[in-house]
Amino acid sequence: MNLKRDISTSTFSGFALSASLIITFLNVLLNNIPVDIKRVGDELLKLNGSEGVANAVTTVVVYFRGFDTLGEIAVLFIASLGIGLMLDSNIRCNLKAESNFMLKTASQLLFPIIILFGIYVMVYGHLSPGGGFQGGVIIASGVLLLLISHKEFEVPHSVITLIETFAGISYVLIGLIGLVVLDKFLGNFLPNNISDMGLLLSGGIIPIIYIIVGIKVGSEMSMITQNLIKRSDDV
Amino acid sequence: MIGFIILSVFIGIIIIAFSAITQKKLADSIILFMGVSLGSVVLFFIFKAPDVALTEAVIGAGISSLIFLMALKHLGEKK
Repeated sequence: MNLKRDISTSTFSGFALSASLIITFLNVLLNNIPVDIKRVGDELLKLNGSEGVANAVTTVVVYFRGFDTLGEIAVLFIASLGIGLMLDSNIRCNLKAESNFMLKTASQLLFPIIILFGIYVMVYGHLSPGGGFQGGVIIASGVLLLLISHKEFEVPHSVITLIETFAGISYVLIGLIGLVVLDKFLGNFLPNNISDMGLLLSGGIIPIIYIIVGIKVGSEMSMITQNLIKRSDDV
Repeated sequence: MIGFIILSVFIGIIIIAFSAITQKKLADSIILFMGVSLGSVVLFFIFKAPDVALTEAVIGAGISSLIFLMALKHLGEKK
């Protein structure tokens, strides 16, 4: 076996260098483990009660890390924008084959239930698992079902643009109102008593913001799926 | 009992993932990838992260697989 010919010197030296680096790093890491690790999660769980929201994950996502959520929505918006730009939305074609009778009837039966479940997940995001992102994607999957079953169906572009713009602007506006009232971006300026924890109307602005996030995610995902399905094949 | 379930789901995910990358047809790979997502939904739920489980079920198993399938349809027609 000719090792020298099969493995070149640079590959071998690179491998040896990375292996030695990993060994050094592990050595440093294992010898310097602190005795009592302070975790971020414990601090956040201690603070969770102050906002009166039953679901701790929602408090972290929307309140303590609300600015990050704004950034995530911006990332999703940019993805939707890129797909809309690349797949030219003016050249549209419907699906060629007529969809099955079974699929049509089942989608008419299922579509309201899926939309209702999406709205439930969105509105109860501060009480039970779920929230804006999940609810929005559930609504988008309902729209997707309607898109693949009814080939003449199309999401109205202008309405979706209005809804999405409204949602984005109101997110930033709520944050700015918090900045004015409480000197803090996304400050919780609505009543958020801890005695209301578990009620539908609790937590101040947190459920409102999660509903806004859900509306924005739902409209963006609906546009992404529509652009992907109704794309002309001869672009 | 719960440990046995966790272990079997873990092994199942590994087997499904390995068979997903060795399939010859891309559509089969996408379906198996959906199976990996479903297994991780069970794991997230057992490990007390229902929020993440819901997200994974909706996005990982639902809409991303459908988007992959649509992309595959367009690619296959172009060939």
